[in-house]
Amino acid sequence: MTSPISGRQPQAVRSALLILEEVAAAGVGVTAKEISAALRIPPATTYRLLNLLVAEEYLVRLPDLGGFALGRRIANLAPAPLSAPTAARDVMRRLRERVRWGAHLVAYDRHRFLFVDPDPDHPPTDADELARHPHANGLGRLLLAEHDELPDGPLARLTPRTVVDRDELEVALVEVARTGLARQCGEFHAARGCLAVAIRAPGDGRLVAGLALTGPADRVAAPNTELIELLREHAAELAPLLA
Amino acid sequence: MTRIPVLRSRSPVAGLRRRSLRPPGVFAQSVATTAPAGAMASTPLLVIAAAGNGALWSFAIAAVVVGLVAACITVFARRMAAAGGLYSFTAQGLGPGGAYACAVAMVVGYGMLVAVTFAGVSWYGGALVARLAGGGDAFAAGVGVALVVVLAITVAVGAVRGVRLAGRVMLVIEAVSIGLILVVLVALALTTAPGTPPAPVGAGSGSGLGGPGLGGIAVGVLPALAAFIGFDSAASLGVEARRPFASIPRAITTTAAVAAVLYLVATLVQLATPGGAGRATSPTSGVPATVGDLSWASVGMDVGIVASFGACALAALNTLVRVLFSLAREGVAPAALGRTHRRHLTPAVAVWVTVPVPAAVVVVGTAAGVAPATVFGGLVAVATLGFLAAYLLVCLAAPRFLARIGELTGGVVVASVLASAALVATVVVVVLHASAGLLITLAGLLVLGAGGWVVLRRRRGAALRGMGVYDETTTADVLAAGPR
Repeated sequence: MTSPISGRQPQAVRSALLILEEVAAAGVGVTAKEISAALRIPPATTYRLLNLLVAEEYLVRLPDLGGFALGRRIANLAPAPLSAPTAARDVMRRLRERVRWGAHLVAYDRHRFLFVDPDPDHPPTDADELARHPHANGLGRLLLAEHDELPDGPLARLTPRTVVDRDELEVALVEVARTGLARQCGEFHAARGCLAVAIRAPGDGRLVAGLALTGPADRVAAPNTELIELLREHAAELAPLLA
Repeated sequence: MTRIPVLRSRSPVAGLRRRSLRPPGVFAQSVATTAPAGAMASTPLLVIAAAGNGALWSFAIAAVVVGLVAACITVFARRMAAAGGLYSFTAQGLGPGGAYACAVAMVVGYGMLVAVTFAGVSWYGGALVARLAGGGDAFAAGVGVALVVVLAITVAVGAVRGVRLAGRVMLVIEAVSIGLILVVLVALALTTAPGTPPAPVGAGSGSGLGGPGLGGIAVGVLPALAAFIGFDSAASLGVEARRPFASIPRAITTTAAVAAVLYLVATLVQLATPGGAGRATSPTSGVPATVGDLSWASVGMDVGIVASFGACALAALNTLVRVLFSLAREGVAPAALGRTHRRHLTPAVAVWVTVPVPAAVVVVGTAAGVAPATVFGGLVAVATLGFLAAYLLVCLAAPRFLARIGELTGGVVVASVLASAALVATVVVVVLHASAGLLITLAGLLVLGAGGWVVLRRRRGAALRGMGVYDETTTADVLAAGPR
């Protein structure tokens, strides 16, 4: 549907960026007329660019439909370095004292993963690597189950055990959504596996983070009832600290 | 931190599967509701009957009017995402009165459209099966009723299962139907010797202008417009579409454009082969066709038309239940209609309450011995008027809405004025030429609508004043407005 662009409309791009800056500077609720006047861009052009930026979700319209604010997507442009609050680090330290596997705390920002408290003794896989293959790891499956969608394109087979059948994955995700627990044994690295539980905001139940334990694949496959219970308890403790 | 006092933490239309439907699904909804496959097989004949050689002009005028209406609809669709489609839009420009009128027009339009598709499947499907199996009219009617029941249950299940699955199915059906009908039309054009087009027989043909005449062209605009109805239906997926402000306007304008091209092509082909397509479809031929070189074509065409009607039934139902869902969430309709399916996140209660009504209309009509053509024609007329009224209201609302939020431009005013004038003229022509039965039906609907308004004013005044809920920006959508 989109024709290849030539990049020969520098003025439109410049104006769009100026509008973003103007909304950021003017604050929540600035109107199209005010933006047009402040930037001396013709009204019709301003409205068109604003609608475009709203369609792409860089801007949002406020409920009166006349005012604008920066959308969440803007956060992708300058991701804030996340670090866990001290209280959350304490919870993680206590968890690590009780388990022998690597314990990692990951925050979700849309479809990105941010290790806010990786286990220093068991360095985790690179976050971008995990985000690239969400179907093959526990933390990614929590995110997929939350948004109830499968990744675009074919599912990469990282190990012989990786689930690459879309229907099979869908069934697995329904289970993850029901239990709030994602388990993966040898699907990302042949010898490793992980247990991941969701951490949800206490208010609206949004998925904000995931708490994962990584260990040997065969051990992860065991029922691990007590371990999962322990994981859930710590996740519940972390929820109010992260949301 | 900036405080935004008016922002809610939960959307008033929560309960639907929010922001998950991809652009092809949104597009499928509009295309399937418009059902270009069925319309391109049948409508050109009606338009040619009225306008003769001027049929192309009739379609061109209708396409321009639809383009103007689309321009007014996208004014809203680029700025707000609603489950109620046009009536939620109208509320932003004309207030509760306009919104209520538009909601009634939409419920009538989409409800009747579902009935139209049921009647169409019953008529074409029944005739096709009777022809293949060699049965008479009574046999065809019986098969028709059975088809309606099967279709009603199928679309109800499809609508509850969700618009994602439905969208995929509808797009495939519509694409196959269009392909099938195009092949048949072109084959007919190639195998039939070119002849003279039929003489115009429409009401306006006696205007003394010679040839088809301007009058004939004007009369032909109405059936041509009727072929486009439903192109707006993607607007009711505002809550469910991913990036709705981009995908919904695009779906609406693309549907209108694609339909216009298909209709013009179909009209050209049918003008070149007078009577060809008329012979090809079962109902228009009336009698079982002789087994000749046209039989494969007519079967193909009928199958395409029936499939197109089936997809249209599902799509129109999708929109109808979302309008009812939205009305229920506002408190205007019973609250039960606003309940969604726990797993599929669709307005399931509204589906099960709604589907039996159009099915019953068609079954009762057939059982009472009314000719299928009469049932079908009557339903199409009422549905079309419902749609035209809704389009008129949304066109009137567009400039007022833009003026309110301070984004009015000249282009929208021009589009609104031209589209409104054309729609008013069309409605006036329809009413002037309407049969007594249609007038009585319209009067009945107007009285019902007005009565509903009076009762609601007294019992649920607050709900009426609050009409027009839509998927507002919530704290979660705004950068730094809520918890990260």
